[in-house]
Amino acid sequence: MLKKDEKLSKQENPEMMDKNYWRSFEDLYNNPKTIEASHHEFKEGVTEEFNPSNLSNISRRKFLALVGASAALAGAGCADYPDKGEIIPYNKKPEEVTIGKANHYASTSTACSHTCGVLIKTREGRPIKVDGNPDHPVSKGKVCLKCQAEILNLYDPERLTDPLQKVGVGSFEKISWKKVDEAILASLTFAGDKEIAIVAQNINSPSTLKVLDDFAIKFPTTKIYSYELFNDEVKNTAWKKCYGTGSFPLIKWNEAKIIVALESDFLGSEGNRVENSALFVEGRDVDKIKNFNRLYVIEGNLSLTGINSDYRIPLRPHAQLELVFSLISEVSKKIGKGSSLSNSLSLADFSNKYNVPLKKLNSLVSDLVKNAGKSIVHSGTTLTEEVHIAVNYLNNMLGNNSLFRTDTAEVSLFPFTQKSDWDNLISKMNAGEVDTIIHFNSNPVFHLADDYDYEQALSKVSTVISLSEKENESSHLANYVLPINHDFESWGDYKTRTGFYSLQQPVIAPLYNSRQKESILLSWIDGRSDSYSEKLYHEYLMKRWKDEVYPKLDATLPFDRFWFALLHDGVINVKDAPISIGSFNSSALAVLNSYKADSSKYSIVLKNNYSIGDGRFADNGWLQELPHPVSKITWDNYAAVSFKTAKELTLKNNDLVEIKVGSRKLKIPVFLQPGSADNTFTIELGYGRRKTGIVGTDVGFDASSLLSRTNSSSPFLLNGDVSKVGGTHELATAQEHHMFDNELTKDAAIKRKVVREGTVAQYLKNPKFLHDGSEVELHTVYPFIEYPGVKWGMSIDLNKCLGCGDCVVACTAENNVPIVGKDQVAKGREMQWIRIDRYYSGSVDDPNTSLQPMLCQHCDHAPCENVCPVVATSHSPDGLNQMAYNRCVGTRYCSNNCPYKVRRFNYFNYRDFFKDSYQQNESFNLIYNPEVTVRSRGVMEKCTFCIQRIMDAREEAVRQNKNLKGSDVRTACQDACPTNAIQFGDINDKESEFHKYRNHDLGYYVLEELNIKPNVTYIAKLRNTHSEEA
Amino acid sequence: MNIDYSQELPVVEGGLKQAQIEELVAKPLDTKPDKKFLIAISISGSLLLIGAICLGLTFYYGIGLWGNNQPVGWGFDIVNFVFWVGIGHAGTLISAILFLLRQRWRTGIARFAEAMTIFAVMCAGLFPAIHTGRPWLDGYLMPYPNQHQLWINFTSPLIWDVFAVSTYFIVSFVFWFVGLIPDFATLRDRTTSKIKKTIYSIFSLGWRHSHRNWQHYEKAYMLLAGFATPLVLSVHTIVSFDFAVSIIPGWHTTIFPPYFVAGAIFSGFAMVVTVLIFVRKIFNLEHIITINHLEKMNKVILATGMMVGYAYAMEFFIAWYSGNQFESFVFINRAFGPYAWAYWIMVSCNVIFPQLFWIKKIRRSISIMLAIAIFVNVGMWFERFVITVTSLHRDFLPSSWGYYVPTLYDIGILLGSFGLFFTLVILFTKTLPVVSISEVKAVSEGAQPSHNGGHH
Repeated sequence: MLKKDEKLSKQENPEMMDKNYWRSFEDLYNNPKTIEASHHEFKEGVTEEFNPSNLSNISRRKFLALVGASAALAGAGCADYPDKGEIIPYNKKPEEVTIGKANHYASTSTACSHTCGVLIKTREGRPIKVDGNPDHPVSKGKVCLKCQAEILNLYDPERLTDPLQKVGVGSFEKISWKKVDEAILASLTFAGDKEIAIVAQNINSPSTLKVLDDFAIKFPTTKIYSYELFNDEVKNTAWKKCYGTGSFPLIKWNEAKIIVALESDFLGSEGNRVENSALFVEGRDVDKIKNFNRLYVIEGNLSLTGINSDYRIPLRPHAQLELVFSLISEVSKKIGKGSSLSNSLSLADFSNKYNVPLKKLNSLVSDLVKNAGKSIVHSGTTLTEEVHIAVNYLNNMLGNNSLFRTDTAEVSLFPFTQKSDWDNLISKMNAGEVDTIIHFNSNPVFHLADDYDYEQALSKVSTVISLSEKENESSHLANYVLPINHDFESWGDYKTRTGFYSLQQPVIAPLYNSRQKESILLSWIDGRSDSYSEKLYHEYLMKRWKDEVYPKLDATLPFDRFWFALLHDGVINVKDAPISIGSFNSSALAVLNSYKADSSKYSIVLKNNYSIGDGRFADNGWLQELPHPVSKITWDNYAAVSFKTAKELTLKNNDLVEIKVGSRKLKIPVFLQPGSADNTFTIELGYGRRKTGIVGTDVGFDASSLLSRTNSSSPFLLNGDVSKVGGTHELATAQEHHMFDNELTKDAAIKRKVVREGTVAQYLKNPKFLHDGSEVELHTVYPFIEYPGVKWGMSIDLNKCLGCGDCVVACTAENNVPIVGKDQVAKGREMQWIRIDRYYSGSVDDPNTSLQPMLCQHCDHAPCENVCPVVATSHSPDGLNQMAYNRCVGTRYCSNNCPYKVRRFNYFNYRDFFKDSYQQNESFNLIYNPEVTVRSRGVMEKCTFCIQRIMDAREEAVRQNKNLKGSDVRTACQDACPTNAIQFGDINDKESEFHKYRNHDLGYYVLEELNIKPNVTYIAKLRNTHSEEA
Repeated sequence: MNIDYSQELPVVEGGLKQAQIEELVAKPLDTKPDKKFLIAISISGSLLLIGAICLGLTFYYGIGLWGNNQPVGWGFDIVNFVFWVGIGHAGTLISAILFLLRQRWRTGIARFAEAMTIFAVMCAGLFPAIHTGRPWLDGYLMPYPNQHQLWINFTSPLIWDVFAVSTYFIVSFVFWFVGLIPDFATLRDRTTSKIKKTIYSIFSLGWRHSHRNWQHYEKAYMLLAGFATPLVLSVHTIVSFDFAVSIIPGWHTTIFPPYFVAGAIFSGFAMVVTVLIFVRKIFNLEHIITINHLEKMNKVILATGMMVGYAYAMEFFIAWYSGNQFESFVFINRAFGPYAWAYWIMVSCNVIFPQLFWIKKIRRSISIMLAIAIFVNVGMWFERFVITVTSLHRDFLPSSWGYYVPTLYDIGILLGSFGLFFTLVILFTKTLPVVSISEVKAVSEGAQPSHNGGHH
């Protein structure tokens, strides 16, 4: 203000103004207008009475409100983001959880009765992946595909969410736990002297057994029944007859030089496949070529073991006994020991009778004799007791008992219920003497032989209770269906082997209103309907361990800390009684003398399925869609038959036949299986579920209808009649079948050097035989691109790959691969990123089989990359062929131009397409690996070499200020491979173990001559055949 | 036969006067649609509707509705694309190349052939756009600046396709439109309807039939013809690169560019013959589109058919001569494998039947030439099918071999593309002069002053 006054005074007194300073002419000449204007600092209208509303209609507030509103509108308009869910940070962060980092918990999976130790990967509290527990003495860090796929069962949207009460035939309504407990307790209390039957599958948990025993104490009329559709009962009985005590021992497959598998699928569906495979491939290590074992397989249908054999003889299973007889007589002659067997069939006679090449048999016998003590003859569980006894005798004669393991043996906590006891139960049920039946996570309606008429008898029982994760054939007939916790929501301890216990801990709170099955019984034992608490079984388990197990262990830690250590490790080694194998009792051979040769027309063999087991996994889409390791058929079972028999019956693939065994019938499509024995029909069980979820219901054919309670010598080996009936049923295969008799396609994989093989003898003679004389100089117009730093590569040892498919399921779980369904597989649109290619060569009756896991080869000069119009697929500086899903338009040119055809295209939004959006159920959101994009319709995808794991390892290396090393990364398939056939690492690291595989003498690239520089090395398979045939 | 080679055959027969020509050509435009027209358009419209429904469902559910599968990533979608691009070759060849070669007989058929070219390229352009898994992102195939600095892949033949086909379409369209300007002016002058007059005035761009107009016009037309000529060869060359640039045996072949161009002309001419046979009959244009025209076109069909046949043989020879087992397998598999039926349809339709055109009588027989032309169309569609599908279905690894079966949606969309093509053709006959009035007038008798007084 002062200034203004000065100015004013100057203007009023022009004399006072300093004339030397003027701003304009007007100023200089004292233009009155200027002087007038200079009086008004602000423009006309902008005065002390400043009112913005006079300037514009929009007030400041209104303006701000409008800006705010338009920003909000723009925000709302652009916010059409599919994920509308909220992201809420932990209010109180659990100590062990770091967001974005996975936690691993040791537990136990009961996917099959071998109860493998697992390591469950959880992200932000939800389990997403299952791997083997490396500390577990049996699984040793590996699990089979069933364990891998169990995660899908956990999130199965069709799991039972609440207890159900029957309100009519096949109709149920929800009921609260309190009400159902009250009703059941009343029924149990008033059972009087009527029986309470608990029907369980294999009981292999000591604490569960204790709960059942406690239950039987509380309710004294309780009887416990246990069954397993596939078990070793016949074999163990035979063993007991021969050796007096114990059960059939485990075998040191790693020490055997000669392995003879008679109808035995020990690498596939029999025994602990993961353990057997790992031991077996110790004799398939090309770097210890002298240790190579030789596998003879004599079987009715080509099995997983059969495709890995060095010599294979198709033989109908009913002739196995005669084969063993002839082997015994020949071996005893050779080693100069008399045979105590009256039957002495000569090898030549046998060969004539069954049209078996004598040469193979002779070499088998001479191998057995030469390697006496280092060979093992192994008979499959489908065979009859007589065969097992004869095989025990043969092994004993050869001194092979040293190959039986004495360090550990299988443990049976509770014997399987015998046939007479089942008969007894059924007759009591029919007589109304059974008050309550509890299906303790079992499904006897589906599993028990039809002629028990269990289903019929069940209707006479007043209270039927099914404890089950989801609806099944048995729960459908129950009065009460109680939802139970999944393995990964449960506590438990398991004892399937001597030497250790395996612990189970929950890794997620129950997703639904379910309870652990043991807790349910415990609350009934308590007798109060409100006695249940989540900790019920947890505390029971701890108490049992504290009271019964802990004191015997001489543990140095106090129990509390011991218990946490135990849960952390998942297993604990204990000292059990040593195993001794007694001496052979020759009197067991007496049963063999009354043997009569089988003369029936057709052998019908029922087998365990590789993936869905006894039907428990029928509702698991990953396993249903996994191609059968031999036939590559998905979503179905079938009767496998030889080409010759099919021709006799004028059968083609997919034709329906009717199989008649006694009065029991089955209609099933046939599949012409190369290498199948003539007149043998092999069918896998577990399919044809009538009551289960949307995925598994009515998939395949229920061949258990052929089972009979009267068939005791071997329930799975039958005689029957087969006739062609009209009609077909399309089987969906993941690999087209090529005719053997067509010169154009015969042995194509060998001719094209896709599969390159040799023999052990060839390799011994010249380790470089694979490449000698076949080197070609390959020219390229492309510049050589250097990859400094890490460059990723893979090597796959085809000597060790047995073709089991564990890697396929692991990859599916890791990489959020969708299920597409049977019709899409039939069209050739399966989505799995890794597949096991299977090639036959040679004759259709006795083919050689070659296996080859095939995945993106991450070629340096990838042909897919230069044809993509939008650069959606490109190369990374560490040698990966990458996919940018968001950029992909879906021209499919990359897939066309991929010589390995490993790219997968989302023809539909498969999560929406498969079974009415089954995979879009809410629970599926939890299963996805958050590190892997879920792909939508119209996008190409393929193996990424588990880039998310690479990035994880890279972050870790950066965090620790180290250089990333090849061995820091393990791909999902590599982790899953039970035989460590897959190796992954840094090609540039010359020091690494991986480098050795990359530059192996037997290493080759598939389609090397295309010069696209693939980065997956295959180590050629060596067959251990006799050198004169090389 | 006694032919006087000293005299050129008259291009326009029946001694039509200039005014008569104008009358004849403009007649469909001046009359109301008759029953025949309505029947024809309802048939083609129904086909178009079938295609639209199938396409709509495809957009909704995904291209999984088609038969494409794992080894066979391209099925009917790309087969139809190549087929229609091929059809689109005759027009520009007739109008541009024959114009430069001073083939006066082209005038009668050029307009129609050009229109067919444009419609065929429209049909063709549809397929690359719909064949993608996510058609709503087709814009990614265009180079445009964006903040992600994402660019298209210039090494991909699909990008070349985008440019080749769009350039071809634009140039063909401009060429066609320029040719239409004098006719628009003629029509403008003829018509009495005010609406028509306005429309024709707009499209005739102020044409006054002045000498200056004609001078500019002739120059522009000549330049455009020169511009379009290399495109005729380049488009199908580039389309063939879609296959030839890949590494798949059966695709990776250097013979493809000339083979595809010959095939395209072959199929284009066959399609033009097929359609013209009906058009000249229905619109009484037998004097303008004469049997001589058709015969000449049949000769071109015979020649290109043999070129195609030569290519088939040469592919087999090279497959054997190269000693490459993948290559030889693919060709043996074509002829004797699961798709042998398609291969032999192709060979008989494309190589064997056109041989009948050696006989003059057949060349001039409407019914037989129609049958052969249709056979050639079928055969050329199968040629693309054989190339696309049989190469893919059994490539390198026997494990991934498969079989492709089209679905009803595939067939529906193929029918739809024919529906679109014929609907456009039929609408064209009713809205624009199907024969270039000005050009035909110019080659009619007595139109050009000549020192020998012309032919009387």
